Amino acid sequence: MKAKKKVVTSADARAARASRPARGIDKPKRTPTVRTIKSAIVPVDRTKAASGGRARVETGGAAGADSGAPVAARPTLAEREALDRIDLSVELAPGRGLRLPNPIMVASGTFGYGVEYGEVVDVQRLGAICCKGTTLRPRAGNPPPRVTETPGGMLNSIGLQNPGVDAVIEKYGPIWQGWKVPVIVNVAGESIEDYVEVARRLDGVPGVAGIELNISCPNVGKGGLQFAIDRDAARAVTAAVRRATDLPLLVKLSPNVADVRPIAKAIEEAGADAITAINTLSGLAVSPDRTRAFLGNTYGGLSGPAIRPVALRIVYEVAQVVSIPIVGIGGVTSLADVLDFLACGAVAVQVGTAIFADPELPVRLADELRAECLRRGFTSYAPLVGTALPRRAGASSAKGAEYRP
Amino acid sequence: MRLVSAELVESRQILPGQWIQSFDAPEFATGSRAGQFVHVRTGDYSGLILRRPFSINTADAATGIVTLHFRTVGRGTEWLTRAREGDRLDMLGPLGRPFEVDPRSRHLLLIAGGLGMAGIRMLADEAVRDGRQVVILFGAQSAAHVYPSSLLPDEVEYVVATDDGSLGHHGFVTELVTDYEAWADQAFACGPHAMLKRLAALAAGRRERLGVAKLGRKRGGGKQDPLGSAAARRKAFLQVSMEQTMGCAVGACLGCTVIGVEGPQRVCREGPVFAAEEIAWESIA
Repeated sequence: MKAKKKVVTSADARAARASRPARGIDKPKRTPTVRTIKSAIVPVDRTKAASGGRARVETGGAAGADSGAPVAARPTLAEREALDRIDLSVELAPGRGLRLPNPIMVASGTFGYGVEYGEVVDVQRLGAICCKGTTLRPRAGNPPPRVTETPGGMLNSIGLQNPGVDAVIEKYGPIWQGWKVPVIVNVAGESIEDYVEVARRLDGVPGVAGIELNISCPNVGKGGLQFAIDRDAARAVTAAVRRATDLPLLVKLSPNVADVRPIAKAIEEAGADAITAINTLSGLAVSPDRTRAFLGNTYGGLSGPAIRPVALRIVYEVAQVVSIPIVGIGGVTSLADVLDFLACGAVAVQVGTAIFADPELPVRLADELRAECLRRGFTSYAPLVGTALPRRAGASSAKGAEYRP
Repeated sequence: MRLVSAELVESRQILPGQWIQSFDAPEFATGSRAGQFVHVRTGDYSGLILRRPFSINTADAATGIVTLHFRTVGRGTEWLTRAREGDRLDMLGPLGRPFEVDPRSRHLLLIAGGLGMAGIRMLADEAVRDGRQVVILFGAQSAAHVYPSSLLPDEVEYVVATDDGSLGHHGFVTELVTDYEAWADQAFACGPHAMLKRLAALAAGRRERLGVAKLGRKRGGGKQDPLGSAAARRKAFLQVSMEQTMGCAVGACLGCTVIGVEGPQRVCREGPVFAAEEIAWESIA
């Protein structure tokens, strides 16, 4: 509560300071001051107007970029210099080195191997790419249909279709090596040995910047229970992979648990460099004739804006119990959503489902975050992180926090 | 593949629940081929978060107009029908691989079931332009759902079958195929998967029924092209345009697969057009 109050008051003070010249008798006295400040940027201001006009003509005549996007894309020279001074880089694995140029990543499974969207997206401007889930052996995935839209989200049950870790390394490793954007390989498996073997094969491969463990897979050795919902299994798989590789290691939490905090804590203790939260929520859609489930695999994972509050809750809870970086993911579609995740304690976010509708969104979000920092006078986005967290750890949602007797 | 903001210039209902919308999109009008599709972003309201894929129905390079033909099946398509002239829609395209016509094919048999007309409509234009003869076999529930012949090129022979016999042949459109299979050099189809499955079975037995022996030089000189390559498709008698619920439409999410003989095939990337031999038809209900 105290932390919240402090942030609110400082913002209030700033707002009050900004609004003061506009009202009352201060106005004539203040205006010249404002003018003198602006006069230093007047020539730049003129170019801004000119370039703005040109930009409008271009979009109207040729390709017709969506409205809104060019505003952030065409800053003036001075603005660009100021924007360039803002440091959006973030270290996700202190000690091992996984430095992202900006905190906007693309989520596993929504961006393929980074090459698919190459014709419409400048992948080099992303913070990082999490590639499609990769397993030891090739997998054909689940029977179709595999995706369907739901209110504010989508269900998918791809079933980890992928060509296997060796084919991924052979085909995409050389491409990734030439990129400046870090590529994090998302790893899945059915046993701890699978995970360890994949991690071992990825270790030292040029172009692989890190590993993200998808532990929402059935643990065949333990009766098919997901690693992610069993604290000991989550700890064991994280520790085993940690021993097998020096690559930066992220572990992706599942939301399908009663209390996520002990699992997050176990993962931190087992040596993960960062935590990704969250994976999809388990869901179901019914076929149009209502005789069976719609998806070929019956159950699917729910993603998109519909799960954002759940993701925020879990990031908020996890941020209070672990000290390693948290990557927030779940229904990010705008800068406001990014700021929400940062406020809840995430240091980076992943954009997933929203890419399908708007492939340029992640790159634009990075630009918008930069502009937001400039607007608020920050040189990095660090002051935006954790502002919504309570000073003292509160009760977990598993203790029925919504219901107060 | 490009992101284009296309202006709606005309929207009209051609059949009950079926619409044709014309968009000013020169990028697609010149750069796309029959069989390809565009991925259209719907309004950002009430939770529609995925784009909707539509076959390019017609593309006129001279005017820069492309048309989309669709049926209102859900909230996304209903939203589309409410778009007004002058509205700009965000489209990603052209996507997918087109129909491959053998340059030596003179007689093309196009088979469409219901909204499948949208999948083969542009091929009719291309074939007529290239001086080929075209027969379109069209199947619908009843006369009320038959695609108007006035919207087809004059050069096309148009044969209709209806399930209730209210117009043309009484029965399935697949029953008409045997009358034309000797005439046709190649066949192209789009429609319900059950119809495509039946057509694939017919195409597989065609050579035996016609008593055509594999004599002399094979088309293409006997070199085996890899399954799924454009060259192999060009030699195939039957090509089908498949549909599947779709996520990204660029091959990243692997959501839109159909089962092929060589494993899952992405409709958005390997398809939507496949040679009939590529699909594992036993997997399709």
